[in-house]
Amino acid sequence: MAKTIRMDVVRMVARHGQGYVQQGLGAADLFTHLYFQELRFDSNNPNWQDRDRFILSTAHNTAVYYSTLARAGLIDPEMLEDYCLDGSALEINASERLAPLVECTCGSLGQGLSVAAGLAMGAKLQQRNSNIYLMLGDGELEEGQVWEAAMFAATHNLSNLIMIIDLNYMQVEGDARDVAAIDPVDSKLENFGWQTMVIDGHDFDAIFASFEAARADTERPSCIIAHTIPGKGVPFLEGRKSHNMVLPPDAAVDALDWLENRP
Amino acid sequence: MTESGKEISKANALHLDDFSVKQQAGQPSASKYYGEALLAAAWANRSILALTADLTAPTETDLIRDQLPDQFIMAGIAEANMVGVGAGLARAGFIPFVHSFSVFLSRRSFDQIAMQVAYPKTNVKLVGFMPGIDSLLGVSHQAIDDIALMRTLPNMTVLEPASPADYEDAVGEALAHNGPVYLRLYRATEQYLRPDNFPSLKIGKVRCLHEGSDAAIFATGLMVEQALRAAKDLKQQGINATVIDCASMKPLDIEGILNVIQHSKVIVTAENHTIVGGLGSAIAEVMASNNIARPFFRIGVQDCFAEGGSRDFLFEKYGLTADTITMKIKQAITS
Repeated sequence: MAKTIRMDVVRMVARHGQGYVQQGLGAADLFTHLYFQELRFDSNNPNWQDRDRFILSTAHNTAVYYSTLARAGLIDPEMLEDYCLDGSALEINASERLAPLVECTCGSLGQGLSVAAGLAMGAKLQQRNSNIYLMLGDGELEEGQVWEAAMFAATHNLSNLIMIIDLNYMQVEGDARDVAAIDPVDSKLENFGWQTMVIDGHDFDAIFASFEAARADTERPSCIIAHTIPGKGVPFLEGRKSHNMVLPPDAAVDALDWLENRP
Repeated sequence: MTESGKEISKANALHLDDFSVKQQAGQPSASKYYGEALLAAAWANRSILALTADLTAPTETDLIRDQLPDQFIMAGIAEANMVGVGAGLARAGFIPFVHSFSVFLSRRSFDQIAMQVAYPKTNVKLVGFMPGIDSLLGVSHQAIDDIALMRTLPNMTVLEPASPADYEDAVGEALAHNGPVYLRLYRATEQYLRPDNFPSLKIGKVRCLHEGSDAAIFATGLMVEQALRAAKDLKQQGINATVIDCASMKPLDIEGILNVIQHSKVIVTAENHTIVGGLGSAIAEVMASNNIARPFFRIGVQDCFAEGGSRDFLFEKYGLTADTITMKIKQAITS
């Protein structure tokens, strides 16, 4: 499934010649696990009160997100054709025009974790056994509100809150470590009172085990710090740090060939 | 106790007690009009949650904390996060009342309010205390621009009751409205009783508190009392002024406002807020959009920052008084 999603990502971005292809290829394995293994939802009843909730705080990483929603049967795959076209609900930044699949409108970085914490607290108060999942970028850790929310979540023992940090050290200005001292993410969050796990974000066994451990902790919120490689799956794109990368048609054809025929 | 010990003790007393209410020694404390209203509502509706950012007593949420602890959430000194958490709780089906000083709630959390409350119309009630320049604590604590900020947001309702006697109505109106509401409140320093014939506060409605055909004063919050005083002074000088309470600054009662303006020769607005973007601007927009020209004056903070001080001192210094209103109307009528 991750291969299909990666091919969608390349096609969706290629139509525009530029976009969030590197992040999409990098996070495809995490999205695959989330929507095909982890999240509890009812595709016939997306408003199901006891569903697990997923918030994409890095709301621009939509090629991979929308493809996953389509492949999981939550939106019509034909909608992917309209990605980023004027008037389409599949905006480049996910908005709640796609509610309830998009649980809240992020994009203004740093806000997702606070809303997730509110949802997690609400689920606890209502004694629902749903979990709240949140995916954050590493550059987003530079936003102060993330740390306000991290303290809040630990203070209130929001163990039903599971944050995934898509750690690829890539932000608009280049390598995140050159922009701000975000490392070490794990010990920072541990000191804030979280359970943390550092994994290879492309190793499905490790991904599976980390979510198991996150769900098993009944005291603390959990953070899965997943090292991902931008452009993963396409050798000539792997490791290239480009936030909004130009993807010429011939490169797209080549990338699809790598994904389809030379995995 | 040493001299320095006394100093520390005084400082603590100020910090732990109340920032905006001057308590006279030996006097019983004034009622918590807002706190009581919210507590009564929270007893009746257990979905109501009170969140506060380390300002429990100054926002009167100590009543919820002490009597309904399951409905109280201490969010710490982190307003942006508190607004986001409130939005998440609202999405889970709760009715969060989010409290801080007006200045912090509006300025520090503006983006969070825009994206997580106003845009998605989450059922979050934002409650700010210490409005305008009514603060000893200086410019950092003075919300001179919160009405302007909140008024610009689509889907937001902005209410500033004239007195604590209105707070029960304000809480009721905020609850009856399924969506974002910003409440701008000050703490009671004395007992407030609403006269029997005083109309109740309603979202989207102005209230006429005094009638006269020479001038109209549109006032909000603490300036309503000043406007009523001005009307009394003017009457003694043979000038009849209408006093309109504009507690609902968004949505505005356009029809009610136009009706008053069309029958008045001079228009004055009075607000404890900068004259840019608040009530004065709102009334000017109504007049301009309806091709109505009248002599027009905006009483308020004149596009400047103030300083720390008592309410009486600051209102006098920055012209937020009945005398300023009276003077402007007399000048316009006699010129």
